[in-house]
Amino acid sequence: MTAKLVQLTVNGREEHIAADGLTSLQQVLREKLDYNTVKDGCTQGGCGACSVLVDGELALACLLPVSRLEGAEITTLEGLNESNSAGVIQESFVEHSAAQCGFCTSGMIISAKALLDENPTPSRDDIMEAISGNLCRCTGYLPIIEAVQSAAGKLAKGGDGE
Amino acid sequence: MAEYLLPRTLGEAGELMMAHGRSLAIIAGGTSAMRCGTCRGKRGRGIACIECAGPRLVSVPNSAFVMDIQHLGLDQIEADNGLLRLGAGVSMRDLAASDLPETLRQAARRVGGPALRNLATVGGNIFARQPYGTVAAVLLAMDAVLVFAAPDGPQRIDLAEFYAAGGSAPGLLTHIECPHPEGKLLFLKCARQRFGGPTVISVALRIELADDGTVSAVRIALGGAGEHPLRAVAAEQLLSGKPLAAAAIDAAAAAAQENCAPADDPVASAWYRRRMVGVYVGRALSQAAGIDVEGAPA
Repeated sequence: MTAKLVQLTVNGREEHIAADGLTSLQQVLREKLDYNTVKDGCTQGGCGACSVLVDGELALACLLPVSRLEGAEITTLEGLNESNSAGVIQESFVEHSAAQCGFCTSGMIISAKALLDENPTPSRDDIMEAISGNLCRCTGYLPIIEAVQSAAGKLAKGGDGE
Repeated sequence: MAEYLLPRTLGEAGELMMAHGRSLAIIAGGTSAMRCGTCRGKRGRGIACIECAGPRLVSVPNSAFVMDIQHLGLDQIEADNGLLRLGAGVSMRDLAASDLPETLRQAARRVGGPALRNLATVGGNIFARQPYGTVAAVLLAMDAVLVFAAPDGPQRIDLAEFYAAGGSAPGLLTHIECPHPEGKLLFLKCARQRFGGPTVISVALRIELADDGTVSAVRIALGGAGEHPLRAVAAEQLLSGKPLAAAAIDAAAAAAQENCAPADDPVASAWYRRRMVGVYVGRALSQAAGIDVEGAPA
């Protein structure tokens, strides 16, 4: 067998994963560690539903072989939820009906969070670009864009939700 | 399942390539390799992804060994003495955020969404299956040279020759070099969305005009218009030495449209792609000539 033991920190918890070959981070997070916000979508890097933060950077879990992630820190939406650092974005998603079937929502919130961490006052174009890797087949995107805009406004006023 | 290898030096990588030969595949950002790996593996449904269908330049999922190049220090961007030198592992995000020519950065920014750009590499883009490889099209217009680490030492191949010869790598791609572009460099991507969205076709144009307004040097490179990024040589020839005006532009656009070989895929039909090649080559040339094009996005 060619399995390797890889040590990761997922949402602050140390995990030791036996991974072989091209096992993806998405498979590990969802199937082995039960982080269900990491969706099994296209598995091709096309839908963004498995978006997570790897060492603080936005990444697609389906495209990352877990074998390359020794020592990496992974944050899924569950992790942001525990720290409530995505709370304001989540509230805005509810207020603007930005979640319908909900499949894209966790990826959308992770992408929005990555955007707002880097650019607290995004333009509408910035938001559209930030979520351009996340497919939503329900909302037509407008409520999502509005939700992110509104979250940015709230965070700018100091309601950081933490 | 493939064995995952993570060499720390170029020497080590070279030894692995020698030892495993064709049973070793290379993975950089993983945005092609992994999608290919997972489509076969995905719950045994046997769904072929765009990477597995049809001819391609790289093959990962069935390899016994996969070599990851991300610890080889190939993520440097250097620009001096008029030469740009990109490590093969430079990410699209880093390229987009660099101080390299604006057009190259724009092209990097049109690859996928932000999460994908954090992973996808310039080196990978050279080998990407069409219609991906839009940055490679810009590099082709910039007369880029590929530098491979090969058993007998570094080997340099013009990107145009590399594609013309079928895209076979003599070793590990380590760097992409090109002269700082003279004249105007333009990039246009035809996609169904303004941000993100897979490429229908893309056009990269580098053009220099003499004092009398005639074309003194021109490179037109097309993405999504053949099995690999393609130079529109017939169009270039029609433009050379001519004034950059409507007649020459129309003729060049028609020649580019005629002399390409786009493919059908779920993104667009070959029929549509061919027509968009004509439209976008015309637009790029018109922009370079300072002519307003009706209906063209700003």
